[in-house]
Amino acid sequence: MFRKTAVLFAIVTLFAFVLKPETGFAGDFAIGSTVENFSLPDTNGKVQSLNDLKGKNGAVVVFLSAQCPVVKGYNQRINELAAEYQDKGITFIGINSNSTESLDWVKSHAAENYKFPVLIDKGNVLADKLGATVTPEAYYFDAKNVLLYHGAIDNDKSGKAITDSYLKVAFDSTLSGKAIAKTRANAFGCSIKRVGD
Amino acid sequence: MNLKTFIGGAALLLSLTGVSSAQIGMGRRADAPSKGPTIKQIDANGLRKALTPSRKPLLVNFWATWCDPCREEFPDLVKLDAEYKGKIDFITISLDELSEIDRDVPKFLTDMKAPMPAYLLKAQDDEAAIAFVSKEWSGALPLTILYDPSGKQIYYRQGKVKIDTVRAEIDKLLIPGN
Repeated sequence: MFRKTAVLFAIVTLFAFVLKPETGFAGDFAIGSTVENFSLPDTNGKVQSLNDLKGKNGAVVVFLSAQCPVVKGYNQRINELAAEYQDKGITFIGINSNSTESLDWVKSHAAENYKFPVLIDKGNVLADKLGATVTPEAYYFDAKNVLLYHGAIDNDKSGKAITDSYLKVAFDSTLSGKAIAKTRANAFGCSIKRVGD
Repeated sequence: MNLKTFIGGAALLLSLTGVSSAQIGMGRRADAPSKGPTIKQIDANGLRKALTPSRKPLLVNFWATWCDPCREEFPDLVKLDAEYKGKIDFITISLDELSEIDRDVPKFLTDMKAPMPAYLLKAQDDEAAIAFVSKEWSGALPLTILYDPSGKQIYYRQGKVKIDTVRAEIDKLLIPGN
């Protein structure tokens, strides 16, 4: 009996190792989880926190990059969403976790492209905590910092054939008191360049 | 019939039957074109077929010309392909826009002297395609997966590939009896 159990355990362990993906981050942050308040410096060095920046209906933490062409393609859509939902109590917080992008670069890119703060996640600590791997990647938290939606902004990076505006639908569902039908969606994008990659 | 007549006739037959040079180069290594890369556009069904091994280990690299780490790791992948030529199948799948299928994608592959069969994925639903490849995949590029001949994922790397790790995993698969 012991021998059979030991063999079974060995097989399960072996499979766990064989199939364990190499991604270099801690793991996914589940929908419904509450994120602890975090504080990070913005591009001017001023430390800002989630709790200070969030609106009465929550906040979107969106991982960005100053050099990713996919992010570039989304900038206008991100700004439009940020402007529209700012008035509805949902604020946007940009996060740059890329170890390969200099502060000057991120600062000028943020000033040129966004009307919301971009915080510097040195050492990709927040990216690791949330399991963020790609840019752009959005995390929509309610006013109590509970994760409501995680993933892509919409289903077409080119913006030419969008058939599902995931993030906007998530906002509208929440604001009208309905459950979010799709709480998770993936999309192609640039990998976050972590320290040591 | 002399050789010139035969070649001319064969070329005419191919053109009449609508078989383009792109289609000729669509298959796996045995069908790969001898000159310049030919990129085959695939949809979700094509992706399913492309990810099915054909009696050999299959290495797949998802990439895009706009992805810096993808471009950086490509020389290593080309070396790996040369090292295991004939022992494994190795394909690359670009996530570039369709408009790049005859522009930046073949240009980059030519610059890299990359002979691997090359595909460009244009799925109707990116999210479904991502989930089909792996439930672990966020969509971040590059992504490299090694399948054993039965189609089981043996190695999965989201981010720049660790070449020695891939080599070790391929070597394990190539041990007789595995």
